[in-house]
Amino acid sequence: MNDSGIIVDIQRFSIHDGPGIRTTVFLKGCPLNCKWCHNPEAIAYKPQLSFNQEKCLNCFACVSVCPTGAHFIKDNKHEIDFTLCQLSGDCVPACPNEALSITGKVNSVEQVIELILKDKDYYINSGGGVTISGGEPMTQFQFTKQILKACKDNSIHTILDTCGHAPSEKYLEILPLVDLFLYDYKESDYDKHKEYTGVYNDLIQKNFNMLYGAGAKIILRCPIVPGINDTDKHFEAICNLYKDYPKLLGIEIMPYHNIGLDKARKIGAEGQFISIDTTDKEKSREWISALNELGCTNIRLG
Amino acid sequence: MTYNINEIKQISIETKMKDYSKELKITEVYKAYKDAHPAIKEAMCLKAEYPAYFTPIQDGDLFAGRLKQGRVGFTIDEWGPTAFAYYCQFEEIENDLKTYDYPAEEKAKIEEMLKFWETEDTSNKIRKEYPPLMAQYLFSDDWMNTSGIAFPLYRLTGSTPNFKKLLDLGIPGIYKEIEELKATAEFDGRDVQFYEGMKIAIDVLADVCLYYEKEIRLLAEISTIDEKKEELNKIADTLHIITISKPRTFREAIQLFWIYTYVADIRNYGRMDIYMGDFLVNDLNAGIIDEDEALKYLQSLWQLMADRNTVVHNRVIIGGKSRPNEANADRFALLAMEATRTVKEIEPQLSLRFYEGMNPALFEKALDVIGGGATYPILYNDDININSINNAFGFSIKEAERYFTPYGCGEFILEGRSFGTPSGVINLLKALEVTLRNGVDPVTGKVIGLQLGNFEDFHSFDDLMNAYKKQVEFFVSLLAEQEVLEYKICGEEAPFLYNSLLYDDCMAKGKGMFAGGIKYLGGTLETYGNTNTADSLTAIKELIYERKLISKKELLDALDNNFAGYENIQLKLANAPKYGNDNEIADSMLERVHNHVCNFVKNQADRVGLHSYLVVIINNSANTLMGRSTHASADGRKAFEHMNNGNAPSGGNDKEGVTAMLNSIAKPSTSIHAGSVQNMKFSPELFFERRDIIKSLLKTYFDKGGSQAMITVLNRGDLENALVEPEKYRNLFVRVGGFSARFVELSTEVQKDILSRTLY
Repeated sequence: MNDSGIIVDIQRFSIHDGPGIRTTVFLKGCPLNCKWCHNPEAIAYKPQLSFNQEKCLNCFACVSVCPTGAHFIKDNKHEIDFTLCQLSGDCVPACPNEALSITGKVNSVEQVIELILKDKDYYINSGGGVTISGGEPMTQFQFTKQILKACKDNSIHTILDTCGHAPSEKYLEILPLVDLFLYDYKESDYDKHKEYTGVYNDLIQKNFNMLYGAGAKIILRCPIVPGINDTDKHFEAICNLYKDYPKLLGIEIMPYHNIGLDKARKIGAEGQFISIDTTDKEKSREWISALNELGCTNIRLG
Repeated sequence: MTYNINEIKQISIETKMKDYSKELKITEVYKAYKDAHPAIKEAMCLKAEYPAYFTPIQDGDLFAGRLKQGRVGFTIDEWGPTAFAYYCQFEEIENDLKTYDYPAEEKAKIEEMLKFWETEDTSNKIRKEYPPLMAQYLFSDDWMNTSGIAFPLYRLTGSTPNFKKLLDLGIPGIYKEIEELKATAEFDGRDVQFYEGMKIAIDVLADVCLYYEKEIRLLAEISTIDEKKEELNKIADTLHIITISKPRTFREAIQLFWIYTYVADIRNYGRMDIYMGDFLVNDLNAGIIDEDEALKYLQSLWQLMADRNTVVHNRVIIGGKSRPNEANADRFALLAMEATRTVKEIEPQLSLRFYEGMNPALFEKALDVIGGGATYPILYNDDININSINNAFGFSIKEAERYFTPYGCGEFILEGRSFGTPSGVINLLKALEVTLRNGVDPVTGKVIGLQLGNFEDFHSFDDLMNAYKKQVEFFVSLLAEQEVLEYKICGEEAPFLYNSLLYDDCMAKGKGMFAGGIKYLGGTLETYGNTNTADSLTAIKELIYERKLISKKELLDALDNNFAGYENIQLKLANAPKYGNDNEIADSMLERVHNHVCNFVKNQADRVGLHSYLVVIINNSANTLMGRSTHASADGRKAFEHMNNGNAPSGGNDKEGVTAMLNSIAKPSTSIHAGSVQNMKFSPELFFERRDIIKSLLKTYFDKGGSQAMITVLNRGDLENALVEPEKYRNLFVRVGGFSARFVELSTEVQKDILSRTLY
């Protein structure tokens, strides 16, 4: 039994990840590597050093305490080689301006639940609950399962926000503890899926079919990225799903935004992701009407 | 470190040479009746003041009643920091004499008048009676501009009388009541002068109505527009009728009510839906007016209130438990909210009492009006407040339900039954900083507090806490005694006729409200800097006494230097747990500070002989003004910056989201004080697009014990733009503390305070 896990963040008063007022727990670690990832700090399984350049005073306090030379001075400016960081954590308190931090903290199930329970009354009054997201929560399966179990023990509504890429039997095991799945549908083309996310989509589709067949409540979430998957073909595929899976609770379009880039920069992973403008509202509305025209009506912006 | 805190002078400036004949006349009358019975003296002074101080109606007014108060006069409330009861605005008059070239004879008269009032001004009389210790430690009356721990306030504010009685009886009915009670008193051999004074006061009230009637008839005569002529004659007719009959219509009721609020200087109006609801609905049912016409009346009344410009008063209460005419009252309440939505002014301070089971249309309408940017209505949770009042004041549940009304910045009293003017302020953060330095004020370098030892001598956190408590208790005791002294002298000075007339049990006893007449005479004390004090104590406890990350000397050095060169220490202090994040360590310290001061204050009542003496955690802009004379604090706040607002977290320190903030602010006990205010800001997106979420947030907060909510709905961008182009944002209203304001009219410091608060 793993009674602790690694968490990126716990967001209270979360109102965009499922119905009502929720607490969303973002777990660290994801088997995918989507080019448009908006939580890049949640991809790696381990904690990471995070550096906010804007706050750096170039005082080099970090350089003198770092045991592995990850912090160094170049042209009289503070630089970081993230590959050298061994997470001693010594630089964090040394920094006088809070420019450095460690992303990812070990939390026990009890700690998480304690925080979750603080807002229980808000869940009840708003029809909300708890959403486990990430990263991919299935990568910390035991931890996720225990949090969900504890939620159910406390009569709290649960959502699992998942990319679908995890062993099928694990989904079956966790199914009784999940009231609603937010299930990603990123790209319909087999090869493109691999190209953009790092994995093929066959397992994802298989798990989707399985959960649907088992009667799971599912909202499909489709990230749409301009120039990548805003294609007629992908839109048609979304509409076919809409027709073929009438018991879906809904389809949400998640227009691309580039907030993730700043977070990627902080962990030295900037180059791995696409860099385009955040989708404007008009474009999002065009997508919705295009999908409507194709016959897909129960669709909304997520 | 020097800091000029003398920038603010809140005196009104005349734009042209002022005519002092009215002030001189009142002074003459006062002199003539100086040794007469207080009731007669007051009545004659009222007669000299009114209608003289009233001013003409303005275009669009549907009711008569505007006033420009003079520099000498009589009031229950205040016309400046020490101008109350029999008052003289010394500073303003001296300023006039300096600015304008008065003819020698007139100047001499005015100077003589000033000299006369020196000993007759009520505030001066009170100050003169201070015992030595009180005079030593409450050394200044100028809390806005002086560095100090505690200050007295000179006023009898918050009067909210029984307007229902006024409207039920009308002028003839009241006259009759006075006559009957006078006859009884005569028969019993009791003092009848009180009633004689009352009769004169009622004559003055009628005179004001007739004065306006005459003026308005003249206006009607010269008006060339038929419609306007007709409208003016209606106003004149109404004024005439109310002098000979009790009000029969909504219009007559509003007219009598409004004139009365001015002669009595009553600035808070209590449960208006109860006393106006029946008039409204009777008129509607009888076809005398329709809803549109009724709304026009209220819009005009609302505008008159706005133009009265009281800043912190003009409370109109709607909704709540124990309304005998609930359906009619609901109808009035909905119309009142519509008036607030459409008039778009910062006053009146419309306030909605609500409870589980009340007509949901009222709460729904309230959210619409708040969401429209009105900052009103302010929400009061009966399900919490009634029990709290029962515990704090000792009023029965039934009495609290029926008569409870918030006034001013949010203090609780019972309308027509109780009084509780805040007559003192205490800056808790100043008390702490003085305690850390053995009685010395770091801003002035003077000893202003008890000398209880140096910080180094407090070997445990409890040593420090005990010293802080002792410091606070010393000043609270003085303020409690000051409040009683203030009441005593006011009771001797005057019966406050118009107020006593509508306050139980003054008429039956034949006594003024502060001379033993009123049913419940209580008092209140305003506390400031509560959150900064608690957060400072948390940081000291955690970082110095427990984790030993900072030494006492380092802290004092950092504070004395306003963190210059001590940024690292400031960061550590800022990162210590803070109230407002649902954090047990920080929140329990706030509760400790809160419970201490609230309970200690509450326990003063018996000692000094008041029905109650309670803390109010309200806010005008005192958090900013008193912050200006408070040095850097251990919560990481820099010197002279604003302190927290009401019971709120310090600006921007609530970082865990709105649920955490609401959980925190619902923690401090509401049953040991007389009111506490909660500002919160939401974005229009959340308020309109996610109304379901807002409703469940508020419901949960109120379920958890939330007593009150003052909600501002706006965009941060609007605030920032308003700083650049103020002329475009005249209608951007924000809740400052216990009052609302046009954002663009606030001082830069207060704007900064508002901007620092978290927007959800």
